[in-house]
Formats: sequence, structure tokens, C-alpha cells
Amino acid sequence: MNRRRAPRRISLSQRRDAPAGGEWRQRKEERWRGQGKAQAREVEEDESCEQHGKEAVPRGTCQTMCPARELQDREVQNRLHRFEMLAGTERVRRPRGDPLRAVKEYTRPAAGKDSTNPTDLRPPAVLLKTVCYLIDDIAASPHLHPWTEVYSFVFDRLRGVKQDMIIQRVSGLNCMAILERTVRFLIYASYRLCGEPLWLYDPRINDTHLQESLSWLLDCYATETGPHPNQEEFQALGLLYNLGSARATQHIMELSGRLRTSPAITLALSINRAFLERNPVRMLRLARRLNFIQGCALHRHLVTCRRDLLLIYSHGYCSRNCRFPLDRLAQLLSLDTSLAAQLCQAYGVDVNQGNQLVFSKAAFTEPGKGKLHCKMYHNIVAEKQRELSVGNIIHGCV
Amino acid sequence: MAHITINQYLQQVYDAIDNHDGSFCAELLSFKHPHVANPRLQLASPEEKCQQLLEPPYDEMVAAHLRCTYAVSNHDFVEAYKFQTLVVQAFLRAFQSHKEENWALPVMFSVTLDLRIFANSAEQQLQKKGKGQPGEMLEKAAEQLMSCFRVCASDNRAGIEDSKKWGMMFLSNQLFKIYFKINKLHLCKPLIRAIDSSNLKNDYSPAQKVTYKYYVGRKAMFDSDFKPAEEFLSYAFHHCHGSSQKNKRMILIYLLPVKMLLGHMPTHQLLRKYDLMQFADVTKSVSEGNLLLLNEALSKHETFFIRCGIFLILEKLKIITYRNLFKKVYLLLRTHQLPLDAFLVSLKMMQLDDVDIDEVQCILANLIYMVSTHTHTHTHTHTHTHTHTHTHTHTHTALLSHLTA
Repeated sequence: MNRRRAPRRISLSQRRDAPAGGEWRQRKEERWRGQGKAQAREVEEDESCEQHGKEAVPRGTCQTMCPARELQDREVQNRLHRFEMLAGTERVRRPRGDPLRAVKEYTRPAAGKDSTNPTDLRPPAVLLKTVCYLIDDIAASPHLHPWTEVYSFVFDRLRGVKQDMIIQRVSGLNCMAILERTVRFLIYASYRLCGEPLWLYDPRINDTHLQESLSWLLDCYATETGPHPNQEEFQALGLLYNLGSARATQHIMELSGRLRTSPAITLALSINRAFLERNPVRMLRLARRLNFIQGCALHRHLVTCRRDLLLIYSHGYCSRNCRFPLDRLAQLLSLDTSLAAQLCQAYGVDVNQGNQLVFSKAAFTEPGKGKLHCKMYHNIVAEKQRELSVGNIIHGCV
Repeated sequence: MAHITINQYLQQVYDAIDNHDGSFCAELLSFKHPHVANPRLQLASPEEKCQQLLEPPYDEMVAAHLRCTYAVSNHDFVEAYKFQTLVVQAFLRAFQSHKEENWALPVMFSVTLDLRIFANSAEQQLQKKGKGQPGEMLEKAAEQLMSCFRVCASDNRAGIEDSKKWGMMFLSNQLFKIYFKINKLHLCKPLIRAIDSSNLKNDYSPAQKVTYKYYVGRKAMFDSDFKPAEEFLSYAFHHCHGSSQKNKRMILIYLLPVKMLLGHMPTHQLLRKYDLMQFADVTKSVSEGNLLLLNEALSKHETFFIRCGIFLILEKLKIITYRNLFKKVYLLLRTHQLPLDAFLVSLKMMQLDDVDIDEVQCILANLIYMVSTHTHTHTHTHTHTHTHTHTHTHTHTALLSHLTA
């Protein structure tokens, strides 16, 4: 279809009745060069880029864990956490804040709120010191109870640290040191607080932040120049925590050969393989070789692992005449006999008088919601903790 | 084309638009066309010229295109990408204003293809300088392409011949390429759903359909839906033009593991024809039940398999290899009740030294479980198991009859 369009736009020179001389056109072109649409856009971009390079990335100057202004505000508004109060003033109507114990809290970014004021931002060195304080004096403290409250405080304050890092585009050694400790803390918490009521500890929220921090940390390893002495540890922890995930496995497969053949990653890969092949016997056997923090990372998958064992045995040994010894199963599951019996009952596997199991694929059922308490079956991880202190676990000096 | 003046070029563009000549207009905006090498068109600021001759938004579109050619001639792909973005944005404005007509589809194909290619090149340039997040530019390009896709998909008014829906499959294919590259496969799902529910889905060009099925097949593989994966990839392989050996080989790289998982081993001829001898040892070891050879084959060609993203799927062949190995044990012993030790010995022969009786039981139980729940098998298998367990001794016996391959 050939539509006749409206008459062509009259060129500017024609409109202005100017002579069509080359000289005039050249001058006009020079003027237009500065005013062309695309050109204008480009100029704007250039200017913002310049600002970007010079001022736009904020540099914090606050040398204390909590900016003075925030401490004052929270004191006046009675919004101090009890871990931040000056000793002896806790019961007073308006407790005083202890500048050596107050830590900048996480605040949601809001429109119109300026979060880039340098006096409110802590530089990377201060951030690292803050994280160490949170670990040594709060998370690892034997005097602060209950640990769910300790966790909430540390979780929130670590989020504040991360926020300062993001605003200042922190990278490099300090960034990785902070992220490594954050990841270890969150992994440890996922084990220690397993089974706590939802209003005190939400595993999904913990998981979201763990994955974010882990992701950022692995990005740092990939983009920053090495060496990264802890990379082996964290690549392995990442795989153990995300066991069975195709994405996590493919990520490990794409690491350098030297990393992939390191002991921690080899073990994590073997456990991952056993999990994917549905070989729970092998998986549990290999899991005994993990250290404590690796066990914490793995522990939520142990439920699936044990379930898989009962499931495939329910099919493989499905026979009325068949009897499977309970203590044999207990050994395979790395549990004591009574716990093994409880687990079987939760899955509908019948235990008879002689402590023998009768497997039946029809009888196997998933346990009802809330019926299975993962915490009861934690011993395989718990026994790895032994003399390790919480501080050492999170700092990684075991 | 390599020597025309800017005015001649703009005149050609104007005429193409005026005559609704989508194909020619597409060529004039494509980086496959020789005009991009013409220095007379590589202007640093062509805006005024374009404004004189073309109506908005075509003036912006062409001006950005010419600035792009300038950037490309300076090998600055980051700049080129930026300008190509402007081209696509301006084009989309024009495209949306074309009511009940689709003559500009070839232009869309051309500018979106160039956008993706520049995003790739720009990222590579940034990586070399150590800047930029991997995948960032491709993601932005994908957002642009999605906007185009939405315009096409929501064209409900025009009749079939003038419908913009004909652009959907091409755009899906471009988006698949990006999503696979940046490893965000879950974003493929809405596209697949949209195409599936469209009444045009079988009428797109053969080339587009082959590419489409190739990516949908790979996605199905990733989701472990092996039966549909086999269907899609087989279609792509058989309908792929015989002359594109390279494309057929690429499809085969993904079709082979799927077929092997479903029990069909490729012939040596096929592997040799398409230069895929890496699969030869894998095939041999699976059919023979030779776990040792399988492990060796996987590790020998590890780099190749990992790069193609099929290493993990090939590892799933292990379970079939176990089954074939155990079948051999059964055939050798020719009884209905087989001692578990026999299986253990066979595994030790495969140099799996850290396997014990408990694991053998577990592997067997898993095989039985897979059979009775029809996981990963599509042929009929009959298994009868009677297990007789003593509480005092550690010997258990299993019965397996007629495991078919």
C-alpha cells in the first residue's frame, strides 16, 4: 500500500529565507552540532559521568561504630537496643547509649532521604572493626541470652554494615573479609537456630541474606585479583549449602582446575554427586568427613537425604517377608537406635517388636507439617563442634 | 553502496520508508550491509541532516544508526551499543504507530540482531579492561527485546497477514540466546508460553522453528524433562538444513546425551560424521556397563563437556551403567537369587574401591525405586525382589529378573 505522506518538512534554511550559501550552512551546522538531540543527551551523560568520577561515590568519615548523630537521636527517642546501653542505665526511664557498644542500625532506603552524608558512613576499616566487635563481643559472648536475640541484633547490624559497603562501593580485601564473616555467621545461625519458632528466627529471611552475601563474595573472588586464601573454603560452603542445585554445580564445574581439585571442593562435589544420584548411604558416609561449619551448611539437606533412604528402601525392600534390622539402618543414618526408630515412625515405616523394620512402598508417607523436628537429628553436625568457640568458627580460625 | 553520499543514502532510506519496503529499509540499517563501511556516512553528528530529510522518529533512528557506524569504525563497541539502543528505541516508537501493518518487521529483525551482537562485543571489550559486570549489557539488551516482543504479542487487531505477531518467534530466539548466555533460563518460560498459545506457532519459517526447538529442547534438558527434550532436539536436528554441518553438530551435542539417557546409543558413523568422537568412549562404557571406562571418558573430555554444559547430564548416565553392569552379573550367574557380594565384586573390578555392601544395597534399592516409579526409563522393565534378611549375619540376597536395556 502506497500512502502519500504529508509534504516533506521544509529545511530550516529555506524557512529562514537565508541564502543557500555553503558558508552560512557551515556556520549553522556548527551551531547545531552542539544542539542536536542525541548530542545533547550525550553531553548530559558526560557531565554526570564526570560528577560520578569526582563526587558521586560517597566516602565515609565516621570513625565510630555508630554515627554520633544517630546515637543521640536514638537515645532521645528511647530506641536503643539493650546491648547498646551504658551499663547501669538500663532500667532508667531514658537509658544512655554507650558509644563503645552502639552500632549503626539498618534503615530502609527511602525517597528523599539522604543516605550519602559522609559523617554517617563508616569507612571500610571501621566496618571491619565493627564486624569483629559484633562477632567477638555479641555473637560469641557467653553472657548474652537468649541467642535468638543476639542473632537478631547481629543480623540487623550486619545488614547496616552491608548497606554502608554498597553506598560506598566498597571492594577489595576489607569487603571480602567482611562478607566471609557474614556468610559464616549466617551459616552457623541456620544450624544453631534450626527449629526455633518463626517469630524469633525465620529461616527464609536468613537464607535470602546468606545467598546475597555469598553471591557477592563469589563475584569478588571472580573479579578481584588474588590471591584469595579462603576461596576454596567458600566455594565448597556455597555448594554444600545449595546442594543439588544445577546452577551451583555448574558454577563449581567452571572454576579453575586447581580449585576444583582442592580437598574441600572435591569432597563437596562428591557429596553433591551422591545426593544427585540418590545414594544416601554414600552421602551420609562422606558427610562424616566434613568439619563443623561445613556440616552447618549441609545440615538442612540431611532431612532430604534421610527421607530418600527410607523412600528407596521402602521400594527396594518392599516385601511382606522381608525384615531389615533397625540397628543396621541406624548405623546407615548416623543416628542412635531410638532416634532411628522415631524417624521411621514419622515416615510410616513400621518397626516391629524385635526391632526389625518392615518396609512397604504403600506405607511410606511424608510426615505431617510440624511432625518432623530436624533439630532432634542434629547429632551428626553437633558432634563436630567439640571445643570450637563461636568466635573462632565465625572468624574462620579453626 | 560503499561510495554514496549522505544525501543519497538518506534519500534511499526515505524512499524505503515511504514505499513500506521493509526489506530494503532493513538492509540500510543493518551492519551486514556494505554501507556501514562507507566513510561518507560515518558522521560524528548527523542529526541535522537526518532531521532535514526524515520525519521523527525515523530521523533519530537513522542518526543514531550513523553515529553507530562511526563508533564501529573506531572499534568502540561500548559506544556502538549505546547508539544501537537508541536505534531500537526510536524504531519501536515508529513500529507502535504502524496500526494494522507489519511491513517494518524486517527492520526490527535487523536492528535487534545488531543490538544483541553489539552487547556481546561491548561486554567483551569491558571485560578486557576489567570493568563492568558480566551479563549487565546483555540483560539490558534483553529488556529492549522484551519491549519489542510485547508490542508484537499484543497485536490483536490486525488480520493474520498484517499482524506483528509474525515477529514473535525471531525475538524469542534472540532472547533465548541471551538468557542462555547469562544463565537465566527461567526467563525463557513466559516466551515459550506465549508462543505455545499462539495460533501461528507452526507457520513460522523453517529456520526460525529449528532455532526455536533447539533452545526449547535445551531448556527441557536443563529441567530434566528428557522425553520432551528428545522430541524438540530431534525435530531441530532433522529439520536443520543439511548444508549447515556446524548447526547440526551443535544440536547433536545436546541430543546425544538425552538419547543416551533414554537408552539409545549413537553409532560410530554418526559420531565420526559430525566430529563428535568425544562421545565414543562414553557410549561404549554405558552399553558395556563399564564404570571405569565411563569415569575415564568423562574426565578425559571434561573441559569440552563442561564448556557445552552437558557434563552434569552425562554423569546421570552412571545409573544406567550400574544397571547394565548388574545385568551382566545376573546373566553370568544365571540364577534367580543373586548374592550381593557378586555385585560388590563387579564394582571392585571397576576400581570403585570405597564401595561396600551397604552401598550396593542402596544402589540396587535405588534402581528398583526408579523402575517402580518410572523415573528415567521409558521401556518396560520387570523386577521382582525378594529380600531375606538375617539379623545376625550380614549377607543379604536380592533377586532381579529380566532387566531389559
